[in-house]
Amino acid sequence: MMEELFIALWVIMSILAIAMAIHAVLSRDLIKATILMAGVSLIASFLFVLLRAPDVAMAEASIGSALTAIILVLAIRNTKRFEEGGGEK
Amino acid sequence: MIGIQTIIGMAFISIGLLFQFLGALGLVRLPDVYNRLQAATKSITMGAISIAIGVGVIDLSLLPKALLVVIFLMLTNPLSSHAIARAAYNSGVPLWKGSVVDRYGPALKKLQKRRGRS
Amino acid sequence: MMERYDIHRSIPAILLALLVAATIFYAFVEVGFGEAKVDEEGSVSNRFISNSTQETGSSNFVTAVVVNYRGFDTLGEVTVLFLASAGMGAIVSALPAGDKRKRPIPPSLILTAGTRLVLPLIILFGSYVFVHGHLSPGGGFQGGVIIASGLLLYLVIFPEWKAPHKALALSESLAGLSFAGIGIIGLAVGGIFLDNVISGLGEAGMLVSAGLIPLIYIAIGIKVGAEMTGLVARMKGGDA
Repeated sequence: MMEELFIALWVIMSILAIAMAIHAVLSRDLIKATILMAGVSLIASFLFVLLRAPDVAMAEASIGSALTAIILVLAIRNTKRFEEGGGEK
Repeated sequence: MIGIQTIIGMAFISIGLLFQFLGALGLVRLPDVYNRLQAATKSITMGAISIAIGVGVIDLSLLPKALLVVIFLMLTNPLSSHAIARAAYNSGVPLWKGSVVDRYGPALKKLQKRRGRS
Repeated sequence: MMERYDIHRSIPAILLALLVAATIFYAFVEVGFGEAKVDEEGSVSNRFISNSTQETGSSNFVTAVVVNYRGFDTLGEVTVLFLASAGMGAIVSALPAGDKRKRPIPPSLILTAGTRLVLPLIILFGSYVFVHGHLSPGGGFQGGVIIASGLLLYLVIFPEWKAPHKALALSESLAGLSFAGIGIIGLAVGGIFLDNVISGLGEAGMLVSAGLIPLIYIAIGIKVGAEMTGLVARMKGGDA
């Protein structure tokens, strides 16, 4: 029973992470893409906890979803928020 | 054989789950940023804190850690929701059409006027 | 906020991601879910799992591997991090400062008071994580990043605060030097670079039990925290 629950949780979280990642790639709003990327990191850290790797989970949660996101947001603030399309809009 | 402790803990966790569900529902159904933020904040203050207390009651050795988590959530959650609401207002996210009162806008204008004069 | 998806633009990225996913899947498809890939009697990982607690006194064998058995690699890793942050600092500080036509909104009382309340707790937690690296999950890198994110909160809430770049650089260099110095102590006393020369203090599970490992992790924590804070402060700009 626990095993099935574990695998179900794993599959749901993985699908959620993949959906968020695809959305982040396709998004033209860079702030939105950054937030989605931070969400992917958060889900990845949750999956690391499920796999009993708490060390990696702590590193992933703090670096992936806090520091990287903030560095990207600062970079976007100094440049442009919306991606300009190559080709027709 | 279920002890009284487990029953109390389960009651806390059930209350927490109910609030988490209502928060998620509010996030989907409510009309604008500010209302949704209210729902999300409730789901943390009542939901997550109640679940943490429930876990602490079921396993008493976890109670100090659970209380620490509760204190930290109580400190940070209002801060972050305040910051999000303020940032949304200041970057010009409109209120929902049916909103009846906006106390922050006039107060902000008054503050800016006072700051401009001095 | 109009936002339109342009699928054609993203096809190479999606293809690349699918390719990487297929490669990883192909590499691990024969390994059962949750099982170890190499599970023989004399394999390296089994040796680390069964012997690391007696040999190093560290209860967390990830820490034992990172700081003791593969300590030299960690020194290299810290050096790479230092080089990356130095390079990024050089590039960012050579750029012209961003436009300042939008004055930031001053922080409200709730935010400033709350930050003053929360910041010491965050720094305490980060220090706890890197001091207890050999007992509980976490370690120097994680603790340092937690401290950096706390200082980052301060930097965001108080935009006029100037990061003390000289003090940050000084603490970073001192921490790096002490890491190398601990290695040289091991070389001088035990004959091996980064040898864990202090041993037999207390039983495994106590704070002092792991000899030099906590000291190395404290140095790494301070170094990573100072580095990350300086990097983000440079990135934020306005105080070059």
